[in-house]
Amino acid sequence: MAASVLSRVVKSGFEFLQTSFRITSQAGNVEQVRGYYVNWRMLRDVKRRQMAFEYANDRLRMNAIRKNTILPKELQEIADKEIAAFPRDSCPVRIRSRCVMTSRPRGVKRRWRLSRIVFRHLADHNQMPGIQRAMW
Amino acid sequence: MYRRIILLATRNRSGISRIAEHSINITDQQETKRISVSTCPNRQRMLYNKGVCTPNKRPFSTSTAISKENEESSAPKTGVTEAKVKEKEPKKSGKENLLDLLSAMKIDVTTKKKFQALKSQKSKEQPRVHPESMESATSMFQKATTEQQAQKESLSPELVAAASAVASSMPLKKSQTESELLQQLRKHESDTEVHKKGETNNIGNIIADMKVGKHPNARSPNRPANQIRFDDDGRGYTHDRGVVNEFDAVRRRKSLFTGKRLNIFPSTTDTTETEPKEVSVPSLWDIELAGHIAAVIKHLPRNGFEEMIQWTKDGKLWQYPINNEAGLEEESDVPFHEHVFLDSHLEDFPKQGPVRHFMELVINGLSKNPYLTVKQKMEHIEWFREYFQQKEEVLKESEAY
Repeated sequence: MAASVLSRVVKSGFEFLQTSFRITSQAGNVEQVRGYYVNWRMLRDVKRRQMAFEYANDRLRMNAIRKNTILPKELQEIADKEIAAFPRDSCPVRIRSRCVMTSRPRGVKRRWRLSRIVFRHLADHNQMPGIQRAMW
Repeated sequence: MYRRIILLATRNRSGISRIAEHSINITDQQETKRISVSTCPNRQRMLYNKGVCTPNKRPFSTSTAISKENEESSAPKTGVTEAKVKEKEPKKSGKENLLDLLSAMKIDVTTKKKFQALKSQKSKEQPRVHPESMESATSMFQKATTEQQAQKESLSPELVAAASAVASSMPLKKSQTESELLQQLRKHESDTEVHKKGETNNIGNIIADMKVGKHPNARSPNRPANQIRFDDDGRGYTHDRGVVNEFDAVRRRKSLFTGKRLNIFPSTTDTTETEPKEVSVPSLWDIELAGHIAAVIKHLPRNGFEEMIQWTKDGKLWQYPINNEAGLEEESDVPFHEHVFLDSHLEDFPKQGPVRHFMELVINGLSKNPYLTVKQKMEHIEWFREYFQQKEEVLKESEAY
């Protein structure tokens, strides 16, 4: 369930066009892949989303054990330590919704995944269906 | 689908009431006449006279009778309609008999034999449709509904047995609880089937209302089709043939496979089946060749529509009309009790203690979750099982396992 919630958040995570991303092929040698993300920050955000998707179920279950009044406290302390040992990029809090076109971290409207500037540009050039200048 | 037929019993010179039927909500007058013939033969009219309305008395001026399709739902309002309904009973379709049998089925639930008996009875009823009413829409409607009824019988015997067991454990009104449970199960099944198959019911209803069409090409134009005809200004034009006439002969046959066999080609089982060849892992060259062929064959989209088609095939675009359960077709086959009754998976956990309490809460939450597949729920439970087995020592120290 957590995974499906996060998969909506992980928007473009499965496009394998990355800017100079290093991947290991089947043979084991590290290869460079040229790609087209806007900048490195966007790439890092993509990686965080992918990792959050992977660890989503585990984090959900660990948190279910931790946030509990029934199980003994020793078990909960151990669970605390285990969840802290997960990679840092696996927590969904680190994901930042960026503009898809410009990678701008602020002023992003969630429905269109665009920053306000790009949105305005496209809407003025009639590229957004159903969007009209407000006048009342 | 209601059709109100208003019976106007008007007073005639002869004193015998003549039934003229008018209908609201039916567009075609011819159809009403056909219905009037089938529902009111002479015999019925005579009974109407005898039973209710004698010549000298004042006949009923108007009375509304609801037509044959709906007799189960409404109680007849006047004596006129009562006589009419009684007369219709021997002619009622398989649907009525089926309903009676289903209601009688309440008490005696010996599953398979009963279902088979029902089915054989229903199949006997169907050929009894009157030939004169064959063309009318009413018979088509009835056939559509009987087909729907047939689908409702397919409850699994285990569910029926479980329902009977539950009903017998209840203190009061066992037969009634059992019939209600079975009704709920049937409704659930029919809903899921309708959902699976899309909008088949509605199509049946829509078709039932439509008349059988006449032959579309009965009247061909008097002139030969290809002759050039002249306009006023002397410029000729050919009558637009359209694609229709070319496929006329093909369309006149009801289906592709009627007609005599020509026996030109030998039948398919000429070559014996060779033993299955070893399937080797396709090499990289094979993959590359397949990709190359696919790229050559694939045409670039000529317009936006083709582009959208291509995206839909790729999976980039959703399928319209939006299906909420788009990726989850197999999941609809899983019966509901596997989602809800998850207690049986708790056998490996201790019977008492906080761990058991915790797992029961987990199972409670999972059973209420409609968004997960059964497989995902099982994975959750298994993970917890492994986790608690790993932490056994810690739990035993705190006396929790």
